[in-house]
Amino acid sequence: MNNSEELNGAQIVLEALKEQEVDTIFGYPGGAVLPIYDAIFGQNFLKHVLVRQEAGAVHAAEGYARSSGQVGVLLVTSGPGATNVVTGLTDALMDSIPIVCITGQVPTHLIGTDAFQECDTTGITRPCTKYNYLVKDVSKLSEVIHEAFEIARSGRPGPVLIDIPKNVQLAKSFYKPRKEISFRPHRIKSGSIDISKEFIENLISHVKKSTKPVLYVGGGCLNSGPKASEELRKFAELTNIPVTTTLHGLGCYPGNGKLSIGMLGMHGTYEANLTMHDCDLMINVGARFDDRITGRLDAFSPDSVKFHFDIDKSSINKNVNVDFSTNTDIAYALSAINDYISSNNIEFNHNQISNWWNQINEWKSTDCLKYEQGEETIKPQHAISRLNELTKNKNTIVTTEVGQHQMWAAQYFQFNKPNSWITSGGLGTMGFGMPAAIGAQMANPEALVIDIAGEASFLMNIQEIATAVQYKLPIKIFILNNEYMGMVRQWQELMHGSRYSESYVNALPDFVKLAESFHAVGLRAKNVSELDETINEMLNIDRPVIADIWVDKKENVFPMIPSGAAHNEMLLSKYDEEKPENQEKGKVLV
Amino acid sequence: MSDASVYPEPNNTFKHSKRNVLSIIVDNEPGILARIVGLFSGRGYNIEALNVTVVDIKENLSRITLETIGEQKVIDQIIAHLEKLVPVHSAINLADLHESYEAEISLIKINYENEDQNLKTLALADIYRTRTVTKKEGIVIYEISGTSERVNKFLDDLNGINGIKVEIVRSGPIGLGI
Ligand SMILES: Cc1ncc(C[n+]2csc(CCOP(=O)(O)OP(=O)(O)O)c2C)c(N)n1
Ligand SMILES: [Mg+2]
Repeated sequence: MNNSEELNGAQIVLEALKEQEVDTIFGYPGGAVLPIYDAIFGQNFLKHVLVRQEAGAVHAAEGYARSSGQVGVLLVTSGPGATNVVTGLTDALMDSIPIVCITGQVPTHLIGTDAFQECDTTGITRPCTKYNYLVKDVSKLSEVIHEAFEIARSGRPGPVLIDIPKNVQLAKSFYKPRKEISFRPHRIKSGSIDISKEFIENLISHVKKSTKPVLYVGGGCLNSGPKASEELRKFAELTNIPVTTTLHGLGCYPGNGKLSIGMLGMHGTYEANLTMHDCDLMINVGARFDDRITGRLDAFSPDSVKFHFDIDKSSINKNVNVDFSTNTDIAYALSAINDYISSNNIEFNHNQISNWWNQINEWKSTDCLKYEQGEETIKPQHAISRLNELTKNKNTIVTTEVGQHQMWAAQYFQFNKPNSWITSGGLGTMGFGMPAAIGAQMANPEALVIDIAGEASFLMNIQEIATAVQYKLPIKIFILNNEYMGMVRQWQELMHGSRYSESYVNALPDFVKLAESFHAVGLRAKNVSELDETINEMLNIDRPVIADIWVDKKENVFPMIPSGAAHNEMLLSKYDEEKPENQEKGKVLV
Repeated sequence: MSDASVYPEPNNTFKHSKRNVLSIIVDNEPGILARIVGLFSGRGYNIEALNVTVVDIKENLSRITLETIGEQKVIDQIIAHLEKLVPVHSAINLADLHESYEAEISLIKINYENEDQNLKTLALADIYRTRTVTKKEGIVIYEISGTSERVNKFLDDLNGINGIKVEIVRSGPIGLGI
């Protein structure tokens, strides 16, 4: 591009995206973004994926970002286009996912006049973005876009929105390449890459003293990039410390690794939660002591010294007070620690924690995830176990919707590498999984992408099947169809006397016919004998597939730490009774 | 004239009163105040006083001084969040500083009806070393500055004069640390 040539705002947007090496954009057109759509027409570096509702665009951008480590990008129109992405922006903020959302806006002279399709986009999205802009001057546009990408991916990543009035898209200016822009340092809050020697020495001396240590790993480890997971694994192996992960941390340490004790928290394993409760040293790597994890705060791991690695200072001492903390980017922090260990020839005596491991193995032997698969009805746990087994040798990315199926996916699917598990954790957005699968498949054309879905969640963004079909994205939607908002039903059973108020999903469509009407493939398994065959068939079809798996309608997710209970008050099965006092306290919690 | 000092020392008054007065340096740009205020309103916290003015024209910086009431832990959290906002350069709680100085400015308009009220008002204004901004028949506007406590005291004392009407504008506390 010749620098001396004036471009219009829309062309500047494209030029900046090109320089940011964006090759995919998810979007939906409308009056206020027509100039940008015009610039997209007839160029060939950027592939536009037309979703069927803007919510789909934002979740697809999230899925793209999570599975590729790159910033996800979307483009929507003003007014309803912008308001339709609010849920997804909040989702990305909660789960620290880097995305850039470009919205059209009415021309500057009409702002504030209740013009057609006008809304206060920056006002509405201010609390649900990491940062947002209203660009009123085309000469600032290149700078804004480059800064937006920088902000989205630096420090704790998150969503950034750029609102561009239509007249600014048409006004002319010069494109300013990224290298000519010097970002003001206070605006890009990157994590530090230095870590104090004192912190390292403290950590090592505590590990040396500890007889009951645990590593508690969260999504921050994922966000720090693949190197963080590598270094984590190295550190865990050097010290022989058991590793538990949060929902988002799954895959940061291999699920089949010998130190893995599974996921912790509300539906975590018995061994993980008791390990957290009884440990004397907790090393939190990129997790944020979320309420799904800690259970009742005053009973949370009462006797441990706590170390906390988190790039976000505001996460430190937010829910749980810790003894030592660092805001250094995890990949750098862990590699500095591992280097220190090797260059000082520090050795850890694994015998010192052998009793601890004996204890953990004893907890493990309760086999808290066991279930009984009968002859007929498919148990949802079994469906996931078989899916896991039959996809073992494939390069698989799993996304999910929200509900029981999500928890069963986390429990029964094994994640052995980072970035292969994409789920809505913080916000818990039903309707996330299918568009996220579309995004993940766009970023990873060779991968097998499966959305493990519930029938109720799937209906929330069902229109995106058309997107998958249009772009020939062979995503697999694996529905654990229990005809209930199962997770809601489970809570009603546990806390509201089994009064199943409005949690039955009535008038369900025939998912096979529905698939066919969208020109996708529909499959169904009604009982156990059909399960493997259906899964194999699904895997062999190189097109979008909806597999409607009829599962036991009454099954609940266990183990469970009910809201308001402590880690050691876990319910292991439906035969465990919840303490009545906890039930009352838990009722007000979510 | 009373002997009582009407000049409370302005130093470390934030620390001693445990008022949470936050001092924030930001890029002077649209939306910044909304971003900051949102951190309080989203938690159901009220802002008791707020002052925003450009303090560096060249760098386009504003200083926001903001007083709020709340749990220490939550305030600390809000400060951590403030520091994360893109346009924020720094955020501190003046109460946390080892040494800080406070001031506030206020304009006070008094409507009086008779000479007795006028004399009483004048006497107080003298004790408090106020500046007379303007004075007309039955109306006077004073300017008073100092710590918030000093302004409060002046207003309390004015309250003791029967029958006058008082209208007040206050800048809210501002402060600087050393
Ligand atoms: C947008 C949205 N609305 C409501 C909820 C509350 N919610 C959580 S799980 C759930 C039920 C999900 O049902 P389904 O998708 O069938 O999954 P299942 O639990 O049956 O596996 C609901 C309604 C939510 N998480 N997201
Ligand atoms: Mg369901």
